[in-house]
Amino acid sequence: MRSRSPALALASAAFTSSLSASAADYDVTSDTAAQFYDVRSPTGEVVYARRRVTTTLGVGAYNLVRQVDKRRLGADLSFVARVRYDADYGNGGFTDPGDYGQFVPGLSRGPVDIMYAYLEGRRLLRGWLGFRAGRQYVVDPLGWWSFDGALVKVTSPYHVAFEGYGGFEVRGGLPLSTGRFERDGIWRGDRSGYDPTLYPSFQPTSIAPAMGTSVETAGWSWLNAKLSYRRVYNTGSSNLSQFQSGLLTPAIYDGMRISQERIGGSVNFNLSNWGGVKSGMVYDFYGSNVTQVFASADVYATKRVTLSADYDYYQPSFDADSIWNFFGAEPMNYLALRGSVEATEKLSVSASGYGRVFSIQTQPTRSNSSPGLTDFYNPSVYPTNGTPFDAGGTASLRYRAGTLTLGAKGAGNFGDSGQRVGGDVYAEKLISQRYVLSGRGSLWAWDDKLRTNRDSVSGGYMAGIGYLLGERSKANLEFDHYMNSLVGHRFRLVFSLNVAVTP
Amino acid sequence: MTRPAALRWIFLLLPVLVAALAACFALSDEDAIAGGDPASRHGMAPMPGNVAVPLKWMPPGALKQDPGPSPVVFPPQALTIRFNHKKHLDSSLGLGCKDCHAKAATSNSTEDYLLPQPQTCDGCHGTNHDNKAEVKAGGGSMGGCAFCHNGYKAGDGNRVARLVLPRANMIFSHQKHVVRNIGCDKCHGAIKELELATRDQLPRMNGCLHCHEMPDSASQGDAKSACETCHIKSKNGEGVLRTTFASGTLKPPKWLNNAGHTPDFIERHKQVAGTNSQVCAQCHSEKYCTDCHDGRVRPRSIHPNDYLNMHAIEARQATQRCTSCHREQTFCVDCHQRTGVSMSGPANLRNSGRFHPQKSEWSDAPRKPGHHAFEAQRNLNACVSCHIERDCTGCHGARGIGGGFNPHRAGFAGGCSTQFKRNPRPCYVCHEPGDRTLSQCQ
Repeated sequence: MRSRSPALALASAAFTSSLSASAADYDVTSDTAAQFYDVRSPTGEVVYARRRVTTTLGVGAYNLVRQVDKRRLGADLSFVARVRYDADYGNGGFTDPGDYGQFVPGLSRGPVDIMYAYLEGRRLLRGWLGFRAGRQYVVDPLGWWSFDGALVKVTSPYHVAFEGYGGFEVRGGLPLSTGRFERDGIWRGDRSGYDPTLYPSFQPTSIAPAMGTSVETAGWSWLNAKLSYRRVYNTGSSNLSQFQSGLLTPAIYDGMRISQERIGGSVNFNLSNWGGVKSGMVYDFYGSNVTQVFASADVYATKRVTLSADYDYYQPSFDADSIWNFFGAEPMNYLALRGSVEATEKLSVSASGYGRVFSIQTQPTRSNSSPGLTDFYNPSVYPTNGTPFDAGGTASLRYRAGTLTLGAKGAGNFGDSGQRVGGDVYAEKLISQRYVLSGRGSLWAWDDKLRTNRDSVSGGYMAGIGYLLGERSKANLEFDHYMNSLVGHRFRLVFSLNVAVTP
Repeated sequence: MTRPAALRWIFLLLPVLVAALAACFALSDEDAIAGGDPASRHGMAPMPGNVAVPLKWMPPGALKQDPGPSPVVFPPQALTIRFNHKKHLDSSLGLGCKDCHAKAATSNSTEDYLLPQPQTCDGCHGTNHDNKAEVKAGGGSMGGCAFCHNGYKAGDGNRVARLVLPRANMIFSHQKHVVRNIGCDKCHGAIKELELATRDQLPRMNGCLHCHEMPDSASQGDAKSACETCHIKSKNGEGVLRTTFASGTLKPPKWLNNAGHTPDFIERHKQVAGTNSQVCAQCHSEKYCTDCHDGRVRPRSIHPNDYLNMHAIEARQATQRCTSCHREQTFCVDCHQRTGVSMSGPANLRNSGRFHPQKSEWSDAPRKPGHHAFEAQRNLNACVSCHIERDCTGCHGARGIGGGFNPHRAGFAGGCSTQFKRNPRPCYVCHEPGDRTLSQCQ
């Protein structure tokens, strides 16, 4: 396929004077997964059956322009889009908000959303300019996020690049959108058709203007550093009264207000003979606190062995509409030691051990009270140990030889709230370049310390068979069978079909 | 010692075990270097006796503990001749690289065959390779077929073993480098000091990056850092690099952005992706990421078998890890409500799923593990994965709205004016506009 649309041709001509049309690459892909399993309550009874069908359809057009000299890396335009239908035919389909016994606000039986759809230009204006326009993801030190809008990136020859973007955060409840990328803390969705007194905690969704900027290093392989800033606003009305019977008369807050304003930076520095260091942090302007810090050091002890240490600091933070920003949540500190051994070209092993230290209030917080608040003054009700900790570790093994992959992964988590230990072993084998056989066995034991009679040992297995329809196309069927004393036998059937068509 | 305590110690000792394993492999590496098969003939290996090549003679970018060039980019070879570069490049012969590898100066593709034709040898060795069906040996010891062709047997039909030199799976133009006066040794190392040139004398990516680290916007003459400058793009669409070859799967070396794809890389890849997601995007399309980060099928590489039944244990300890893929209000709450785990779920299911401790432990003093204040302070995200605001407001809302139990941390009143000014909505959920306490933040 060698034709280009007039719009793309115009765009390419506007940005590049020395370019000409060339063979572009296109693909159409579709992934479908059908899952059948029962969800049981923690006490064992079947609560509802999940009959899920998720299918996505994606289109991609790449290399829409290319330089006359094919041996020279030049400007590029591409377009990618993916739309998703995600249905659960087993959720009962209760659509009447007045059906208190069954209805779950915000739950849609078969939502359709656009995962991403954007036009991207790279290396335009002799490598200085890049852009994206449409629904797109942003991955930066602040996390994984999605918005509708435009992003422009300017890469200077001096190993520094600048990025700026603006648009609207992708939010659940809006057309063709998902709530996956909103900040936590607000239960939000489409309230159209709801009586205002019903489910007052379920907040109406509205557009969320967003903007951000980044500065980062460019070109070096031994140093990557990035500093990112993002601001998102909440708009529209929000219910304040949480009780439909009304301890107060219903009240609404309306107006533009901050949803999030954060800045985050990270650095990845590497010396190829010795090892590397990664670190980063995130500061929340709304909460006026550091919410995340991470640091990781890797030492290349030998050509086969890497030894590492990881540190994480985490302080919960939420959408600025959420009351939970103001709750006395304490930070968590996590320290882990890791080792990785590439024993041979085929066999590699990793293991880690960690400690996770939490902070807990040990003294009363206030010495005086107000008529509106009740405080606990008695120091004896507070714990004496302010730093409870959890510990655990993981171990992984992977063996790859030709078309055979073998692996094992185990984990242990131990703490005051419960513990879990066990592992999975798995295997996958490609036969005759067409058939894929896979299997997985597991044994896990857990101990729930917050509630008695919920300890159990679980054994399970999965058996799968697949057929390669093409280089990127595959049909696969997997059968799972799990057994534990809480829910007895549980089965799961997963059928997946991945299809990719390229001219 | 109880069983759980013993297991805890086992897991804490795992890194020590790995370190011990590492030491064993380190020793075995040294053994490999010290050993070796002493060759009786020269030109059979880079160094006499097949000893290790000194680092200073290795291709630039070779590491102290060099694993060799990528076997995926440079597939294994079968070298069936012996050749002594050091002897040929000796000043007494007056030969240079171009005398035998003349085509390299004009080559623009890795598909070009750059080894000299056998006729090149004829002038000095007295042989005649003009007709390969009837190659004629030269006189003297240097002219015999077995002098160069390993395993040659007289009387075996004049056959020699096939030399296999697969093309490199990359984009490379020798010409571009030659015209920029980049000498052979800048990529291949000190060949003139070595005997046989093997795969080990092929370039190291780490060496390429000595020059190829210029941003896209650098002037046209400089070496670009973009991966597709050298790596082949997939022909199946996707807009990413081709990573699957007959010789294996292309993966980043551990020193490249510190992103070695070890078996546990999936648990720590965020540190690489967050700093420079473009590195990941060279080989992985968005679909690859969304399969987990916004997926609808449980990824087995993350969540083990029967995870639905045991996820609570891990979630209580580290819910912050869950939020890298799951949003609490739209993933956790939806399901918890339907299963009756949530307080605000359908009324007919609530009793079946209550899983907190009894009230005497969960709500009454003292605060200890199992008390809701203790658990909330330790991991508030775990609470948010089930509860909606109303569940907390009933007790923690100020008097007139709720029970008036203060949820704020120490010193909260000293800094709340910033929050109130920028978004007072959460304040009004628990405090009436005229609340005297609220005035401290106004």
